[in-house]
This record gives sequence, C-alpha cells and structure tokens, in this order.
Amino acid sequence: MKLKVLFLLLVLPAFSQAADLVAKKVKEEFNKVLDPYAAYWLQAPEVELSLMAQPMMKPKPEKTETSLMKVQVLHNGNYIAFRLRWKDTEKSEAGKLGEFSDAVALEFPVKSNENPPSVIMGGKGDPVHMFHWRAQYQYDEEHGKKDIKDIYPNLAVDTYHMDYPDNGNWQGATQDQKEAYMHGMAAGNPQSFAKRAVDEIMAEGFGSSAVRKDQDSFGKGEWKNGEWTVVISRALKRDKGSVLEEGKGSSVAFAVWQGGKDEVGSRKALTLYWTPLKVEGL
Amino acid sequence: MARVKNWQINREMDYPYSESRPKKQWSIIFDLNKCIACQTCSLACKTTWTSGKGQEYMFWNNVETKPYGSYPLAWDVKILERLGQQAWKAKEPYYGKTIFEAANANEVVAHFHPKDEDWMYPNVGEDDCAGNVPHGDHITLPHDKWFFYLPRTCAHCTYPACLASCPRKAIYKREEDGIVLIDQSRCKGYGECVRACPYKKSMYNTHTRVSEKCIGCFPAVEQGLQPMCVQNCIGKIRIMGFVNPPWKMRKNNPIDYLIHDQQIALPYYPQLGLEPNIYYIPPIHADREYLTQMFGPNVDQAIERYKKLKDDPVTQGLLVLMGSTDRIMHSFDVKDGIAYGYDEKGDEVVRVPVTEPFIERTAYDANIKSLRNNTP
Repeated sequence: MKLKVLFLLLVLPAFSQAADLVAKKVKEEFNKVLDPYAAYWLQAPEVELSLMAQPMMKPKPEKTETSLMKVQVLHNGNYIAFRLRWKDTEKSEAGKLGEFSDAVALEFPVKSNENPPSVIMGGKGDPVHMFHWRAQYQYDEEHGKKDIKDIYPNLAVDTYHMDYPDNGNWQGATQDQKEAYMHGMAAGNPQSFAKRAVDEIMAEGFGSSAVRKDQDSFGKGEWKNGEWTVVISRALKRDKGSVLEEGKGSSVAFAVWQGGKDEVGSRKALTLYWTPLKVEGL
Repeated sequence: MARVKNWQINREMDYPYSESRPKKQWSIIFDLNKCIACQTCSLACKTTWTSGKGQEYMFWNNVETKPYGSYPLAWDVKILERLGQQAWKAKEPYYGKTIFEAANANEVVAHFHPKDEDWMYPNVGEDDCAGNVPHGDHITLPHDKWFFYLPRTCAHCTYPACLASCPRKAIYKREEDGIVLIDQSRCKGYGECVRACPYKKSMYNTHTRVSEKCIGCFPAVEQGLQPMCVQNCIGKIRIMGFVNPPWKMRKNNPIDYLIHDQQIALPYYPQLGLEPNIYYIPPIHADREYLTQMFGPNVDQAIERYKKLKDDPVTQGLLVLMGSTDRIMHSFDVKDGIAYGYDEKGDEVVRVPVTEPFIERTAYDANIKSLRNNTP
C-alpha cells in the first residue's frame, strides 16, 4: 500500500520541479573524454535539482548525503554532454573490503521520450538506458585496474595457482588459465575486468540491470574542494538504446552515490522524477 | 513479506519470499566434542576454492575458538547485540524476533557491516580459555574454564538472508540440493549479502569486485561425494548428507536420525530465523548458558543424550560412520556390531565395526623367537 502511494507521487506531474534542462547546440567535440572545467561550460545554463534517498526498493538508505546537484547540458548534433556537480566531503574510489566508490548515473527512457516508464530502473518491456560513472572505473581507465598489491601493499602471498614466481622449465600459464581461479572473471562478469569510466547499462525493472557490451560514451570526473565535477558525454542516438533528437524534448533522471558513506547499489540518492530535457536545434 | 514455516523455531515467521523447500537439502553435522581445530578443513577448502587473487583473506570454511575466537571479528557478538535481548523457553516455540522481524523499515534484515580489518584475524582468540588459569589450578567437571572449537561453513539456509537482501537477485538456492549460490556473472559487488548474512559467510572479492561464498562443493555433491572439508576432516567429526524437515523425517537417514530422531545435533543461532543447515553436536564440557545462547534451549537434552551414547549401539554406529567414506550416505543401518552406510540407490558404500577389535600382543614373539619392543 505504501509503495502504491509513493508510486502515485512519482507520476504526479505536480511533483516534478525545477526548471527544464536545455541542451544548447555548440561546435565542440564531445566524442572523447572531456575536460570538466572547459571554457564552453560557461555558456551552458545551470539547473539545480533535488535528490532524495531511494524510497522504493529495500534495502533503502536511511538517509543519503546528496540533496542537490547542479546540471548543465550541451550538445553538438551528434553527442550530448552533461556536467554534474555535487558536494562530497571525501573522494572515494573503493578498493579495500567494505569500501565503495563515488558514482553518478544518468538515466533515459528507451521507448518513448514523452511517456517514460518508472523512473526507478524502468519496467518490464519498457527499458531504461543508463550511463553510470564511477570514480573506481575512471581510475581503471586512467591507471589500469588496481592489483591486489596496490590495494593491500603489505599482503603476503606464497603463490597463486598458475601464477608462479619461478616457472622453471614450464612456459607459464595463459591469462585464461589464471582467470579460471578468479571466479568473477571465469564467469565473464564485466564487473571483474578493467572498466572504462562510464558503464552503459540497460534495465527493465529492479534488479534487471545489465551492462551493454557496446559503448558510445565518455566520462571524466574531478574532485576538488569537497565537490565532484563529472562530465558524461554520450551519442545522441544509441542503437537498441535511448535516442535523443535535435529540436525535440526528452526526459532524464539522475542518481548519486557517496561511496565513503556506504552508498552503493540501491542505497542511493536520486531525482524522484523525470526531468524534461530539450535538445535545441540551431 | 510472506509467512513461512521455520521448524527450528517451531513457528511461522516473516520472509521476503514464500516458502519453497528444495527437493533435497544439503546439510553438515559437526560433532564439536571431537574437533581439535587442526584447520585441515579450512586448508582443504582454501586450496580447492579460494587460492585466487582477491581471495587471500577468505575462509569459506573456518574454525574458531569459542567464546573468544571469531572470523570476522566479533560477528556473533555483533549480530546478537543488533538483535537485542530475546527470550526462548525450552519446549516452546521461539517468540522472540528473527533478524527479518527485527529489521527496520528500510532494511531486509537487522545486520551489521564488517570492516576491512575485521576480516584480518582469522585465528584471533585461538585456544583462549574462558577464565584465567591461576597457578596450581586443576581440572574439575564440569569445567569452570572452558573453550571449544567451532568449525563453520555456509549453512545453505532454508531462508537465506543473503538471498533475501540481494537487490539484483543474483543469489539463488538450487532446487536439487538446496545449495545457495551467488551468480558470479550477475553479482555487482554491492556487498548487501556481506552485510545481511548474520554468520558472515558471504565475502567480497576485491580483485573480481563481486561477492563469493561457500558453494557446498556442488561439483562433488553432484557426483555423490561429500564436500572437501568433510572428506578431509582427520578428526572424523563431520558428516554431510541431506536433511528433511521434521514432517518428512526418515529415521534411517543419518542426518535426520541425529537431528530429528535423537535430537543430539542442533542448528546454531536458530533464533536468527534463517533455518541454517549446518548442525552441531554440542560440546559437553562448555558453559551451558553460552551453549543455550548458541544452540537454543534444547541443548541440555542434547548433551544428556550424547552422554548416554555408550548404551546406544545404533547412534554409536552412526558416529563411527562419520568420516569413514568420501561418499554421501543417504541411509545407514547398524546390526551385529557393524555399521553400514548406503548411497542414494541403496548400494553399500562403507561398513565399519562399531567397536574396533582390541588386540593385545604379548611381549614375546614366538614366531621369530624375539622380544617385541616399541623402539622404532
């Protein structure tokens, strides 16, 4: 019953707030990793959005750290770029046990931009397309995936199977043979391999999210003076994904995780409504 | 929330999913009177399953000294503290709260999240005795100074908290044998199962960035073999088989016999509400209040029965079958001083004498006309 009432609140148009997002068209290159502090961002209007603790799906966060996010959008006819800023007192890149990464995600409807599905992960047969940036993933992209010795420098290990310090007369094992002893990798879980800064994810409801193998998006974040500034750019048109069209309206939603405060998975702050987004023509 | 039957606490309780018992339920019984904490089980498991990167700290099977040992640090104290004081009278259902019922409105279960350093002392408290041993002290019965060893695997619970709390539904319980698995291809490493499992048997792998747990050695179980920790137990304290709920109890099933018929093997922390499927024959010389907290109010009865085993050739026979074969015994029989174990088809897999023959050799060997001595 409580869930139903909440759901009603979600779809009530009166509940949507703040100004609409407008993506101005500019002549900049966006199909690459962008500079979060590039000068062209000065011409993009800034909209402030409210976020609240994810209220639908257990486990829910007791409270979340992020209540406001500043959003700017620009596009160049082929790619659209979002600049997202929010306060975070500490930079968290995960690594050790029980440590989680700071992250932000954009979400777009797939079937209908005017009549989007549930803002929380879409619905069965009505998917959403997400662009999930993590500080941890960005570290992978920039420096390579942290080895266990980078995470725990004082760790002592005699040897790993198939990974002997001295192979003697043996040729040594292939990467596949070594990965057979690392279960996530052996199962081909994308989570277990070095990432690019942004994951593209499709979902049709709670718990259904799956990482896309193809990717046409870029991300870059910088943490400075207690604030993250993250830019995510994506192709306007994604095959079997969300398609944004110049001169037309669409919808977008946002979620933020402060890893240092144990925010991960369903423990997130999000915009509880679709924010209208207009992709301006020239 | 659904209402489900939990026979271990003898009542219905709340659980996020409806009752769905597997065709068979994987189970291990440990005789704590025989465990010497040699850690052969821990190493058998480690070399089989957790020798990869990111698993350095992992012991899917561990043995800790009670009361002061724990892995991760203070897991039992913390979950009991989180649950709060609850009451349970002998012969009555448990009317206290389970961790599902004690959860606040935002959570699936009452839980705590172990920190990084909590995992770093797998042998903390090892051999530490409850109470000081002053100079000149001597042993009296029952022991006023005590400790015992507690070997632990995943309990492949009937109502797993890990499964209930996974927002991705990446954890499932196998219909064929009740083994609970984390889908290594779907897990995203949110760590919800690590938080939720009160026994702390879900573990996060920092290298593969997903969580892992004891898999019940399912590749062995599928071939009718007991898990590596059971096969390798040199103290022969363990038996793995399949447990039925009491209403489907089969007396010649070794597991059912010890749990339901004799009631000398008890689940640990049943009050948490998960219907865990590892069972313990409680140690007879440890503190009863502590044992009651761990095994529930029927622990006195279990200990009294265990003490009378010398008059019970059938149970004795079953206890010597423990550790006598690598194969899973689906039924057993004891006749004429011999204990027999049978596989699923009813074929004999092992037979052992209930009492080993005692042979006394004379000091003089007439055959070779020489005195025997025991000098190597």
